[in-house]
Amino acid sequence: MDLFISQLLNGIGNGVVYASVALALVLIYRTTGLLNFAQGEMALFSTYISWKLATSGLPIGLAIVVSMAIALVGGAVIERVLIRPVEQARSPLNVVIVTLGMFLAINSLAQLVFGADYRQINLPIANRITGFGSLHFSVGYILSFAVSVALVIALRQFLRRTEMGRAIRAVAQNRAVAPLMGIRVERVSAITFGLGIACAGVAGALLLPIFWTNPTVGGPYTLKSFVIVVLGGMGSVQGAALGGLLLGIAEQFTAYAWADRYAEVVNFVIFILVLLFRPQGLFGGKA
Amino acid sequence: MTPLVRRWWPTALFFAVITSMPLWIHDGYVLQLIFRVLVFAVLGMAWNFVGGYAGQLSLGHVAYFGIGAYAMTLSVERIGWNPWIGVLLGAVLAALAALIIGSITFRLRGPYFALSTLAAAEIIRVLVQNQDELTHGAVGTNAPLLFKAPDIDAKFFWGVIPLLAAAFALSTWIHNSRFGYRLRAIRENENTAMAVGVNPAVDKLLALLPSAVFTSLAGSIYASYFSFVGPDTVLTIEISVQVALIAMLGGAATVWGPILGSVVLTLTSEIFKTYFEHTHLVVYGLLLIVVVIFLPGGVISLFTRRWSFRRQVGPIGAQQ
Repeated sequence: MDLFISQLLNGIGNGVVYASVALALVLIYRTTGLLNFAQGEMALFSTYISWKLATSGLPIGLAIVVSMAIALVGGAVIERVLIRPVEQARSPLNVVIVTLGMFLAINSLAQLVFGADYRQINLPIANRITGFGSLHFSVGYILSFAVSVALVIALRQFLRRTEMGRAIRAVAQNRAVAPLMGIRVERVSAITFGLGIACAGVAGALLLPIFWTNPTVGGPYTLKSFVIVVLGGMGSVQGAALGGLLLGIAEQFTAYAWADRYAEVVNFVIFILVLLFRPQGLFGGKA
Repeated sequence: MTPLVRRWWPTALFFAVITSMPLWIHDGYVLQLIFRVLVFAVLGMAWNFVGGYAGQLSLGHVAYFGIGAYAMTLSVERIGWNPWIGVLLGAVLAALAALIIGSITFRLRGPYFALSTLAAAEIIRVLVQNQDELTHGAVGTNAPLLFKAPDIDAKFFWGVIPLLAAAFALSTWIHNSRFGYRLRAIRENENTAMAVGVNPAVDKLLALLPSAVFTSLAGSIYASYFSFVGPDTVLTIEISVQVALIAMLGGAATVWGPILGSVVLTLTSEIFKTYFEHTHLVVYGLLLIVVVIFLPGGVISLFTRRWSFRRQVGPIGAQQ
């Protein structure tokens, strides 16, 4: 029983991480209709900036804020300069080429600038172990859990309560009608793109004290995010959060009950099953 | 010149030149490089049936590539067959896989389709990687040689030319046939296509079948030439992506586009690897973006624009 609970908790721990990365993708996909294959790489790049700043002496909180600002501006600029012109040519295939090109370029740029080694931010408290009864957790894990949950809630509040959040939701709902309501769709798209990358980057930076990172970890996260987005019903923030949790738990139990090596494929099996039998997503209402 | 000659002399010249290459190119490295260009041209053309004409962005073609490579290798190793029978077995298995994968994934549209093909290929990769007894798992194994020494480079080179010619012929047929028109109708708008009597489910599968067979044949010959199969070499996502990029960048839904795309992408990536070393992927990625921004119709639009006096075959919008 204890084993079951600790497996479940581990699964939830991973799932929350997935959820916070997937949220950013949901945000971008819903608002701009763009399937960004370079999402994970961009988030990772921003994570590396945090790492660089933190290891060169900046307090970790400030480092994250600075890298978030860089990601926001950088993402908006990329959207404006590279994606918008191609998208206006109305060729969905070409937009895919652009994001794949960015995937390759950013990934190897990260290896060049930051090296291919595994990196981590050293935060002593993250390595401590706590627990009750026969259950043990690392403090870092609990911290990451708390921070990810906070991020999900913050994003949700931002979308609900602020003027910009409302504009983003309006564009997501109907791109054609939003400008009639006085919303500058292109500006909102660019900001959303930057915001999505900043969010994913923050999630990455907050995980640095617990997980190691190197330039190759972005790809799998991007793929998992796609799966989660579909799982959650293409779009609602809550759906993505639940989808992430579910995926984390499913992976953990596949690894435990069957074999570690099948854990990486369980997400794709779930993905295809969901698309076939519940294309509106597990938690989605409308397709 | 008769119209027939006028229309086909560039094609005849192209095939004559590449067929004669092993006779006057004696540098093994150059020959190997051109061999790779030709194999990827076949792959790009095969992808183009589904991705270009029917507009279905498959990111899982490596599945068929890997099936061809593994079927050839394992039928020699486990059953003791002649490798050529293994090549045929691979083609049959790839067609079967295409039927299964296609009938599942073609129900989905747009980005969902792209992701589901990617997922299908990844599932196959993980399965192959974990059947240690049958497939040698993640380590991979040696692939048998389809051609024996001497002059092995030239034999492989000539081995891929019939494949290229067949893919070219099929491409040309699709480009001008009613079937090709139906595929383009599906690409432009699936609902409208259905309204005018096209059955997308059937036509998309019909496009995928030859696509998978050609991909599998190219996979067999490629693995045999480099005499190795492993999940990280013949089942990696990167091949799916590269094949799609070759067709899209060269010019989707055109006959010559994938050939041009393969020449440009295979050669530039090789050159960048030599001259930029660690930065080569940065340059390569940026090149993709620049080409798409400035040549949205693919590299082929450079040629069609300049030689626009030549009669255009095909419907309006086939080359955007």
